[in-house]
Amino acid sequence: MFLRLVADSFGRRPRHKLLTGAALALGMAVATAALSVSLDVGDRLSHEFRSLGANLIVTPDPDSLPLEIGGVDYRPANAGRYLAEIDIPKIKTVFWHNNIIAFAPTLAVSIRTNASIGELSAKLIGTWASHTVDLSDGSTFLTGIEKTNPWWRIVHGRWFGDDAPECVVGAKLFERAHLKLGETLNLRTANQSVALKITGVLNSGGPEDDAVVATLEFAQRLAARQGQYRQLYVSALTKPEDEFARRNPRTMSRDELERWSCSPYVSSIAYSIQQVLPGSDVRVIRRVAEGEGRIMTHVQTLLWLVTLAALLAAALAVGASSAASVIERRTEIGLMKALGAGSGTVGFLLAAEQLLLAVAGGAVGYALGTLLAHVVGEKIFGVAPQPSVFVLLVILGLAAAVTLAGSAIPLRRASRYQPAPILRGE
Amino acid sequence: MFWRIVRRLATANRARLIVILLALGAGAAVTAALLNIQIDAKRRLTTEFRSFGANVVVTPRNSGDASNATLDQSVLQRIPSDWMGERIETRAVLYVAAVSLNPTLPPISVLVSGVSGDGVPALIAKSPITPYESGIHTYLPVCLIGARAFKIIRPNGYRAMHEGAVIRLSGGAPYPNQGEDCNGANLPASGGPEDDQLMMALPVAQRLAGTPGKISLVEITVPGKPGSINDFVASLQQKFPDADVHGIRQFTEAEGKIYDRISGLLAATVAVVLILTTLCVMAAMTNVAMERKNDVGLMKAIGGATRRVLRLFLAEAALLGLIGGVLGAAAGITLSIALGKAVFGVAAQPRLIVYPVSVALTVIVAIAGAYPLRRLANIRPAAVLRGE
Repeated sequence: MFLRLVADSFGRRPRHKLLTGAALALGMAVATAALSVSLDVGDRLSHEFRSLGANLIVTPDPDSLPLEIGGVDYRPANAGRYLAEIDIPKIKTVFWHNNIIAFAPTLAVSIRTNASIGELSAKLIGTWASHTVDLSDGSTFLTGIEKTNPWWRIVHGRWFGDDAPECVVGAKLFERAHLKLGETLNLRTANQSVALKITGVLNSGGPEDDAVVATLEFAQRLAARQGQYRQLYVSALTKPEDEFARRNPRTMSRDELERWSCSPYVSSIAYSIQQVLPGSDVRVIRRVAEGEGRIMTHVQTLLWLVTLAALLAAALAVGASSAASVIERRTEIGLMKALGAGSGTVGFLLAAEQLLLAVAGGAVGYALGTLLAHVVGEKIFGVAPQPSVFVLLVILGLAAAVTLAGSAIPLRRASRYQPAPILRGE
Repeated sequence: MFWRIVRRLATANRARLIVILLALGAGAAVTAALLNIQIDAKRRLTTEFRSFGANVVVTPRNSGDASNATLDQSVLQRIPSDWMGERIETRAVLYVAAVSLNPTLPPISVLVSGVSGDGVPALIAKSPITPYESGIHTYLPVCLIGARAFKIIRPNGYRAMHEGAVIRLSGGAPYPNQGEDCNGANLPASGGPEDDQLMMALPVAQRLAGTPGKISLVEITVPGKPGSINDFVASLQQKFPDADVHGIRQFTEAEGKIYDRISGLLAATVAVVLILTTLCVMAAMTNVAMERKNDVGLMKAIGGATRRVLRLFLAEAALLGLIGGVLGAAAGITLSIALGKAVFGVAAQPRLIVYPVSVALTVIVAIAGAYPLRRLANIRPAAVLRGE
């Protein structure tokens, strides 16, 4: 009987039900889209921020101080300690290895070379352009300076090959020395020399514009430092730091240390890299990490608030429309009561109808919203957020709560109706 | 007479009136809040990028490998103090390759940076430029020691630091006889090159290097969109033909990319929320409109022309839209001020344009919501009166 009444109500007034259901579905679609995008935006933005380049730098334990001006170390090659290239793959063995998306070692050495304008001295920066690293688990990982410093751009020609005797020349040096693409440069240090073919012109907007860049191996050979490097840039996906993240891991209790190491804070990634690279000093590039953290926190909060506003508006509109659908059924309620139905039965019947509508509307809204989130995500970040069961559950719960809350007040009033005046048509 | 009927229509059913006003008001509030935040957040974002620090540098031309090329300090006065209405921060730096002399350690080469301008640590800004004596105390200029430099200049740590906080510096190779004493304090690690350096006030560093009035470079922080930063670089380059002005690509490029993404995201979210809020409000309005069948039938039966009846209902809808919009938009703007405060720590400035726009939008939505009433024109009064 109960089910028949519900079915009858839907069958008799399909238009009304469709309209209420459509309002519900649309409201829930907004909520779904906003929720999906907000949940996903942290990951997406964290990828975007990697265009700022490395946020961690690995250097040898301090021994002598680098005379570094504008990113170029003016120390002679024989001063200071070095790190071993063979240890580099170890950083892909740390707990957060999946968050480490790129790394590149560098070694700078002062060289002299001949150009058409005469002999000149410059810096040779040895690094990896696009290098395949063999990892301990047998897999390989492609990385290099192109990924850690994405603002280094080749304006003419191409990057040097991984092991080929080739180099790229900074734009300013290229112009100043009247060099040509395809020309061979003879680079010399006190007792070593190599000949490298120029394959491209590098524009970085930094001191590298005055330098020659080639594979790490040639810089090592010229500096007589086989298998060694001076700095390693690491680009890692991180979570914005909060108060807890800035605490010293040495003063934490065991539980705290566990929680700290299990959050991808930039400082906990730095700590874990330091543990696998012997004799290294891993520092967070604060300028990058902090600006990134602050902006990301703000944008995320903003989006959450917008989501909240969307949820609120959807809830109000849906609530209003379910309230309207109950109000207009005054006569029906009066009739049911006149035929002997108690207020409880009437309320239960209407609530069941609303819930049915909420589930159907919520499901359709979820599907619509997921589609919308897909379009938005694809358009803005090129990657769509994954549909999640969590969002579906939240949306169904929200739809049920909102329709019930919307109908609650008119239902309470309906329970106080006197059947007689309603039936008389007053 | 017209308005009396409209008033009666609107107030006949209080519950219905509240439902419509609530739907319209909520829509207006969200519209106003989102529009306001959208305008404000974009502007705020460019200011947020300040936290990345300098994005433009002025260096001597062809500084190449000659680390000792310098600019004249007078360039500082010729850099404008604001650009497109936003304040510009400038900081002058002189690098000096100095030697730290410590009685118990061999001489240590260290890079000293003399700084002046915006963003100079308070300790340096407040420190005396020349040593002076007052009573039994001697006040020395302050120098801040980078985290890594500290480990080398003071290997015995902080305690030893207190025993001999004074750092002796000599000006390095070209001026071995020049020397400065300064009162050291250590800086937290920053991950940047300043970790390996000693920072002090510019005049002290100039004295140490024996190059009064000279600087190595100027670091400038220009807030704004990438395009406006490029314009700034171009205009500054014209002003200083002998110097080399360039944007720090690492930051200007990433800032541009991130700005595009975030403002795109905001715009998309706001657009989607607005469209769907409109649809929700319309659905709620339509639902209410459907039950006006009886009213229309009665009016037509006693001689109301279809057009006049429709006008009545549209006037009612517009009036309700106006009331809902006026109240809702005010609430929304108040909300956005609070939201701006919560997110960026600065209250969002209410834009006057947002208010009329959201009220107008709400009225349009309300009228559009009454659109299905058009179908009521086909109602046959007799059928309604018979109670069918």
